[in-house]
This record gives sequence, structure tokens and C-alpha cells, in this order.
Amino acid sequence: MSALHRRAFLTRTAAVAAAAATGATALPAPAGAFTGGTPHFSSGAYVRPRPEALDDPTELTLAEAAWAIRYGKLTPSELVEAYLARIGTFDPVYQAFNTVLADQARAAAKAAGRRRHTGPLHGIPLAIKDNYWTAGVRTTANSYLFQDFVPPADATAVARLKAAGAIVLGKTQMGPLATTRATTPDGRITTVNAWTPTIPGTDPGGSSTGTATSVAGRMATSGTGTQTGGSITAPSNAQNLTGLKPTMGRVSLAGIIPLSYTRDHPGPLARDAKDAAIMLTAMAGEDPADPRTQGLPPLPDLIEAATPAFVRGKVRARRTRVGVLPGYATSAPRQALLATLDAIDGISLVDVPLPDQWDLLTGTEFNNVRLPERSEPFMPYLRTDLRGFGVSLTGWLQGALLGSNEFLTGQRAKLLLLERVLDQVFESCDVVVQTSPVPFDILGLPEIGFPIGFTAAGVPVGAILGAAPYEEDRLLSVVAAYQAVTDWHWRRPADPPAPALAARAMTASDDRGRLTAEEVAEQTQ
Amino acid sequence: MAVTPPTDAELDTMIRARLASLGIDLSQLPPGTAADPVTGSPGQASVLASLRSFVRGSVTTLAAFQLPAPAGTDPAHAAAYSQQPAPMLYPSISTEWRR
Repeated sequence: MSALHRRAFLTRTAAVAAAAATGATALPAPAGAFTGGTPHFSSGAYVRPRPEALDDPTELTLAEAAWAIRYGKLTPSELVEAYLARIGTFDPVYQAFNTVLADQARAAAKAAGRRRHTGPLHGIPLAIKDNYWTAGVRTTANSYLFQDFVPPADATAVARLKAAGAIVLGKTQMGPLATTRATTPDGRITTVNAWTPTIPGTDPGGSSTGTATSVAGRMATSGTGTQTGGSITAPSNAQNLTGLKPTMGRVSLAGIIPLSYTRDHPGPLARDAKDAAIMLTAMAGEDPADPRTQGLPPLPDLIEAATPAFVRGKVRARRTRVGVLPGYATSAPRQALLATLDAIDGISLVDVPLPDQWDLLTGTEFNNVRLPERSEPFMPYLRTDLRGFGVSLTGWLQGALLGSNEFLTGQRAKLLLLERVLDQVFESCDVVVQTSPVPFDILGLPEIGFPIGFTAAGVPVGAILGAAPYEEDRLLSVVAAYQAVTDWHWRRPADPPAPALAARAMTASDDRGRLTAEEVAEQTQ
Repeated sequence: MAVTPPTDAELDTMIRARLASLGIDLSQLPPGTAADPVTGSPGQASVLASLRSFVRGSVTTLAAFQLPAPAGTDPAHAAAYSQQPAPMLYPSISTEWRR
């Protein structure tokens, strides 16, 4: 028996034995019984705050807040209260949260203040996407189907964050069942882009919309999302954040309501590369409840990777070749991005081709191979409650129509596509720019979304880089170097104007627009 | 001999029958094209139109795809070569045990 097989067997055996001893089901349940050990946070996780940020704790990055808490300049209670104050004032406009756990967060902060320091996430308030199970707290995936679902346990990723000291501030609005931007299950737009709070039509990115708006609007330090078809990188790009979608298997999916099980990637939406590194360090690790997490390479020191080195005052990046796909530099922000990267010591640009049959193998039809993964786990709901799917229904019915032959052809095509990406793209580069998150979502490869500018209307513009399997550290090192020489990531949106707040106070709900079932079918992740 | 593409009516029958065989009854949805006013779920006619389009597009394209043979392969052997590539649910994870 190989080392890998033996390890997986032992893990499985231990989990089954433990379940049998308690009379529970033989399958490991998501209960935070992870075995990945305590995450290692290197000293770079603590960053002395910018002087101007100390006046308002909600302005602090995670790494800055971690430093302030560690050295007694800030208490977890002060941080939680600052966020609750902003939520109370501004969330009626933003509508980023569907549940705010004020009492629990206050109690957790008070306990953290009394407890021995546990690491950079000690006392840090987070926003959790509402498809992550939270023990005793309603978890809806923003669907009628789960409107009364109160999980018995935390998702493993949530359990890991809490074990590292984090505080769950609330559950965030999301696209119904993680399909689109956040709306109600019947398609009414809820959450707005924090940069244009009075213009609901501005895309806030989906489906991790509420997490993005809560972090961008300074209502949480950082947060969690899931990505099946761009749902971490798109809202990060839309709202000036740094979002990291790890390689499939890096973070356990146990206790996350599924959308497409080969493509659902849990990961952080954060304020910069360093914060994303801290979050992923806590979230990642082996989990007996999710075999996809087992037997993988160890997690590199992401925090070190996200800490740029300086030589004589100039940033020096890890030697990295950035691949540029044909036709990428079509806009001024993208041209400026490439010029800036090229000027960083250690980074070089290299033209790379689109792999053979790229448009076909990453296009709509082959992307739709994911849809049976949507219908199969939902069969009990499809038989009894079609209207319970609201505007999201069509994709689930499409999945039920795709035959096994076509599904298998799609799985063969995925390996073909991966081999072409590895042979034709990563043969000559280490990371590559992306024009869409979908191809690397199909393949389970890591991606990072980060800010690179603004439109004339003041809406953030972002970029996405992708890497080979398990090379999240490569992505973080490039973005950290870029963020060391740019300031886009430091910019925060203005608070919603007073008239918008007054209008929200006067009406229980307003008309922000509505997506139809047909529009959802076109836009679904 | 080329197969005659199915008509809308034939596809509707196939779609309803396929879903019914799985225990899914489209008549749970409102008749016609109007969405359910309470949940926003699509009407039967609307969803059937979308599903017909899906069958004609995605199902047909995937079914027609043949995995490529190595360059220079005798065309007479192309079908045999197309049987060889392995399907892979998790391509990125597979790289670890294929090292």
C-alpha cells in the first residue's frame, strides 16, 4: 500500500471508528473534526498599522488589526463594536448581511479579550457567506429550500477559522444557491456594490456578493466566499478587494451547501494579499470529512509569500514569469498592470498562447458539463418543490437532462484541457493572466483577483492571475509585490450619502430591480 | 445517414418524459410563460424553451465531441485512439498522484 493510500485509509478508518463509537452515521460529518493541525502563521502576519488607520479600527487590514490586538492597542470588543456600529448605520443601504450575530460576536469578543492570544485571527470579526454551515445559526444559501435550515455543526472551514480565534460577525447575502449576484430567491436585487450604493444596477459581483460588500464597506475585516464560476474573483474585482480561490482540495467543502461539487472552491475575500494569505492559512488543511483534501502537498508559507522583500528601498519579487495571453492588454488598466509588473525586479512578462481548442473546451457547452453535479444532490428537492428553487431553477433541470455519455465526455475533456494548459502555457510561465475565471474553475486551478484601477465612473477594475496546482504562494507573491508599488488596494469607498440612508429608513423595501429566471439561466455561475 | 433533428414537440415530449422518469413533474410550475408571482420560478412554457435550447446546444455539442488522436495518426485509427483518454473529475488533484 502506498504512503498516500495508507494515509487515506487510516484517516478514513479512524473517522468511521469514531462515528461507530458514538452511534453516529458511518460517514464523517462536517463537525470541524479536522486533522490538519494548528495552522502556522509566520511573524509577517502582524503588520504595524498605518498611523491614519489607528483612528478607525474598521480601516485596519487584518494584519494591522492582528498587530494592534497582539500589542494591546486594540481589544477584540472594540473592533467588534466598531463593525457593529457601521453595520447598524450602513447595512440598511448595503444589504450585505442576512443575519448579524451581534450578541454572539460581542460574547466571543469578550471571551477573546480574556483568553491567551491564539494568533493573527485572535478576535478578528469575519463575514461568512451563507452557504457555509454555522452551528445553531440559520444557513439558507439564500434559497427557499433552506430557509429554515439550522445546521447542527460548523462547516470545517468555519470551524478552522474559529479555532484560530476568529469571530463570526454574521452571514452574508449571496446569489440564490450561489448562482448570480445577490438577490432574494425570487430575483429581487438586494446587495449593492459598496462603491456605488445608490446605483443598484452596478454589478457588485456574484455570488459572494454580501461578503464582498461587507469587506469593501468596512463592515467586516475579511470574509469567506465560494467560487464555482468566478464567485470569489468577480466580486473581488468589482469591489476593489483581493480574493483568493485556492486549488481544489486546499480547503474542505464539508459543510458547504453544494452548487457543483467538482468546482466549488471555498476561499477568502480580503483587503490585500497579506490578509488573503492569513485567511487561507487558517482555512486550508486536511479534513477526514472531505477526501479531496487528503494526500495533497503541504501548504506553503503563504504569509511569507505575501510579504514582499525590499532591496535598497525597491521591492524585489520572487523570480516569476507572468504569462500574457493573446489580446489581453485591451484596456488602459490592463496595460498599466503589465507595465507595472514588468518594472518589478524579479518579474518578467512572457507571451503565451491560448491552448488548442481553448474556446471550445472552455465555452458554454463544455462548461455546462458541471450541471448534473447541480441536479444530482438536489433530487429530493426537484421531485417535491420545483418552485422552491425560485429564479434559479433552470440550471438544475438542465443538469437532469444531460446524459451520462455527455457527462463522461466532459470529464475526458477536462483532463485534455489541463494537459494543454500545463504543456502549452505553464511550460513557459509561472502565473498567467486570465480573461475569465471559468477555465481555471473547470480545472480546479488557483486564481487570485486583485484591484488594478477604476473606471471613469469610479467603479473598481480588477485583474485575475492563475497558477499551476497548489501554487497559491506564487500568486500571492506576485500580487504582494504589485501592491507594494501601487495603492489601489488602500482605497476605500465613501460611506452611503445621507439621503440614501434617510430613504432606506423610510421604506421597508425598495425596488432595486429584479432578475428573471431566464436572466439567471444566462448568468449562473 | 444524417439523423433528422428533433422538432420542438418531440423535444418537449422527450424532456417531460426524461424528467418524469426521474420523478420530476414540470406541472409543479405555472402553465404558460409567466413566472410564478411568489417565487419567480419560470412558467412551464418558458422553461421548456430553455431546456430545448440546452439539448440542441450543450447536449448535442458534447455528444459530437471526439477526443483527439495524436498528431499524425492514421484517420482509420482515430476512433480507437479517442477511447483512450481517461475521464477526470478532479484534474488538478490528479496531478499530485500522477507525479
